Amino acid sequence: MSMSKRPLTRRDFLKATSAAATATFAATPGLAYAQMVGSGAPFPDYRALVCVFLYGGNDSFNMLVPRSDAEYGVYAASRQNLAIAQDDLLPISPLTSDGVDYGLHFSMGATRSLFEAGNAAFVTNVGPLIAPTTKDQFFNQSVPLPPQLFSHNDQQDQWLTLRGRSQSKTGWAGRIADLIRLNVADQQMATNASLFGSNLFQAADETIAYVMGPGGPLRFEGLSGDPGAGLAYAQRQAFDRIVDAGYGSIYERGFAAVQRRAIDAADRVSAAIENARAAGAVTTVFPPGQLGTQLDTVAHLIAARDELGMQRQVFFVAAGGFDSHDNQNEDQPGLLANVSDSIAAFFAATVDLGIADAVTTFTQSDFGRTLTSNGDGTDHAWGGNQLVVGGSVAGRELYGSYPLLEIGGADDVGGGRLIPTTSADQFAATLARWFGIPEADLDTVAPHLANFTERDLGFMV
Amino acid sequence: MKRAQVLACLALVALAGCSSGSGGGKEPPPPPPPPPPISQAEAYRFLNQASFGATEAEAERLRAMGIEAWIDEQMGLPMSRQLPHLQALPPPTFMFELQPDRADIWFRNALHGPDQLRQRVAFALSEIMVVSELGVLSDQPFALASYYDTLAAHAFGNYRDLIEAVTLHPAMGAYLSMLGNEKPDPARNIRPDENYARELMQLFSIGLVELNPDGSVRLDANDEPVPTYDQAVIEGFAHVFTGWTYAGAPVFQGAFPSEFRQITPMELWPEFHDTGEKLLLRGVTLPPGQGGAADLAAALDNIFNHPNVGPFIAIRLIQRLVTSNPSPGYVARVAAVFDDNGSGVRGDLGAVVRAILTDAEARPANPIEIDGKLKEPLLRLTQLWRAYDAVSASGRYPYNFAYIIFGQGPLQSPSVFNFFSPFYAPPGEIRDSSLVAPELEIATEYLNTFFTNYMFIQTFAWNHTADPANPEITEDTVLIDFAAEAALAADADALIDRVADTLLAGRISTTLRNEIAGMLALVPADQGVLRAAETIYLVVTSPEFAYQR
Repeated sequence: MSMSKRPLTRRDFLKATSAAATATFAATPGLAYAQMVGSGAPFPDYRALVCVFLYGGNDSFNMLVPRSDAEYGVYAASRQNLAIAQDDLLPISPLTSDGVDYGLHFSMGATRSLFEAGNAAFVTNVGPLIAPTTKDQFFNQSVPLPPQLFSHNDQQDQWLTLRGRSQSKTGWAGRIADLIRLNVADQQMATNASLFGSNLFQAADETIAYVMGPGGPLRFEGLSGDPGAGLAYAQRQAFDRIVDAGYGSIYERGFAAVQRRAIDAADRVSAAIENARAAGAVTTVFPPGQLGTQLDTVAHLIAARDELGMQRQVFFVAAGGFDSHDNQNEDQPGLLANVSDSIAAFFAATVDLGIADAVTTFTQSDFGRTLTSNGDGTDHAWGGNQLVVGGSVAGRELYGSYPLLEIGGADDVGGGRLIPTTSADQFAATLARWFGIPEADLDTVAPHLANFTERDLGFMV
Repeated sequence: MKRAQVLACLALVALAGCSSGSGGGKEPPPPPPPPPPISQAEAYRFLNQASFGATEAEAERLRAMGIEAWIDEQMGLPMSRQLPHLQALPPPTFMFELQPDRADIWFRNALHGPDQLRQRVAFALSEIMVVSELGVLSDQPFALASYYDTLAAHAFGNYRDLIEAVTLHPAMGAYLSMLGNEKPDPARNIRPDENYARELMQLFSIGLVELNPDGSVRLDANDEPVPTYDQAVIEGFAHVFTGWTYAGAPVFQGAFPSEFRQITPMELWPEFHDTGEKLLLRGVTLPPGQGGAADLAAALDNIFNHPNVGPFIAIRLIQRLVTSNPSPGYVARVAAVFDDNGSGVRGDLGAVVRAILTDAEARPANPIEIDGKLKEPLLRLTQLWRAYDAVSASGRYPYNFAYIIFGQGPLQSPSVFNFFSPFYAPPGEIRDSSLVAPELEIATEYLNTFFTNYMFIQTFAWNHTADPANPEITEDTVLIDFAAEAALAADADALIDRVADTLLAGRISTTLRNEIAGMLALVPADQGVLRAAETIYLVVTSPEFAYQR
């Protein structure tokens, strides 16, 4: 049986053992990668992960909603004035059923099309965990819990670092980049690139993420590396020597290091993007807005992968505004439509480039939100649903275990804050394995993976 | 008395704080010893901590009067305000159209306000108790201006008054959704909004974990940090913060934010306030039925008296004004002043600011590599602008796009977590040493390039020689004036010395001096403007200018 099409039922979900998972993956490229990463040899192919972070905590139990009467009734009773009308949900038809019908938020038609075509999947009720946690264990604190649950920045950090109760200051993409740094030594840009500022996701011990703008890097005005450029060339030389001078404080050194990286990459990466735009290989038009602009740039960076000698890339893009304490019914449709349309456009762009199988896009967010309302919005909770899109996604499936959305139910620790039934570590490890991280190193990427039975959720082919 | 004698006497009064000795019956008390002389470099260091950028003129004044007297004078000055500026403008068609004017008045006050210390502390507070134009307040410029004025008004006041004013300000109410927060309605599965309760404790007052008086994290018997509160306490405070909405609103939720409502403290609607018992910090419980105002006062007292507030606020204000990595002793000394200003008063922010700025660690004679901090982009910009009398033809500074090109702007944070985290540690030696450099979080490759390019345009194009007929120059383009530098630019050494004095207190590294000299050798001696622009450009984009010693 193919792991990738594993049904969604709790029974089946719990059936897989790590032994089975290991046996399955011996037949996949994972083993070959293990040897390759160990040797430091270049990868034979190109792969990219694109993290779409939804800042503020996406209310994802309104993104993927049960449609069957019984389960919908429970949902509607919990959500009251924030419930999406049953008839407004866009029906989806997963290949494997857990016995419940589901639908998507009415603004996510583009995602529904991707899902039905087998290029998208959801991982349900996933969130930071240190070990599997029941409601009793939560209340008697008999298992370790992620610190500062329900706090924005702490739970963002949990998703981005998977650090649990440790003091680790590296992100899971940062650790991935460190693990493969010898294999990608010839890349002309860092493995990790952010189009949304500094982030913990890509923080690492050995490698440094490159931060560009939503439209790509900027060039330095008046500085030229061309010896024929006269004063601009001399100015660049002077600028270089000033940046490279030794400095007495950690602050000057830290600032100079950023300037160094910026100068090194600006011209090269800008030119690569411009060349890719000129070549016109990406014909998809992206929706306007922050996220669409970032993903448009990522598409052109991917188009320029050969020019930059890239083999492995992790992109960080983001959208804000998901902290729907207020006006949720007014704001959520536009927010989700933007996510849906932008990610669908990005997938189409990778199809334009003939590289859809090598690019996987996934969402992360601070947390899910309370099932209960504060009047016109929701507060911070825990587990939520995440979207995964790409040609190598075992799509048209729901992974994990979709919970009963019941106040006071088995997964609710109060106010409709649901304990995740799948861990962010499992989610990350599944993506990391596909990316080329060997089995033995997955525990470095996802430090609590060993606490969970399934080392791979199966959503990647 | 001759004028010179008068001036000498005035100077003496200012220096020593002595009485005029008019000959009363009693022997006047001996004057305190005069303040130690301040070097030019030290005056610059102090003024970069306490103002929006040292200038030669202010440094001279400071050296004449001494630091304590300068602080006294500053704390006594009338306050520069934002709100009257907005209210004096013609009413806009749409409220959001006033946001450039709000940025304008922020820059006017930062550049030209006599009350530099108050404005600088208000800016620091605006990065701790954050509200932002980006989001629900985008069409509420009056609320933002009024909020900033509120921070400035309390900058040297009492912290307890400050958090009450912040809590009831409609800008904060709208931003963190306490405004319109209603009591529970179990039938509709509605419970109080937890947003403000959470961020007030996490970001504005005590933080997530218990602190020792020196700011270090207190550990329990298992070496684990001790949380300051749990979800039950957040829910307790969330219930406290029910029942408040816009002043004079016809409805509890959904009232239009008129100018009046944007600037008037929120009002209590008792029927929307939860009347039950409420759990607060450290096991305190509020009795049921005492009403919303009494609940609010007691809850803010409960936070105010938490022992974390002193070290928590000390660390944040020290980081904004002086250094990213204060020693435990420095934090403890400032926190002790928060706890008791010497007159038995807790929460005296004026005393806290003074303690921060006059501590020996604020300006050590022999700085070590972790002393000081990176200057925020806005502070680098204002220092340049103050040094070279930046002004536009219109007199305005409507840079409300600041957050895009500098990564920060006045009340333009991307979220309540500010532009950067107090805990940010970039990879490499800073993180490896368990140190922090908050401002480096927005010194990304992208934003550094933006800033560097802005400075290129500012120095080479947007200067006193700019041609108003040039379509690239609008009446709002801010121009710097370095005519004096251009006039002496034929002498490269004199030019470099002068710019180094103006921007670096005369402390310029050999590398920077040599590289500037090398560039000047390529520019003809009669190209004074170009030579001066080149010099200023290389200084203001250098790592040493970005560093606040």
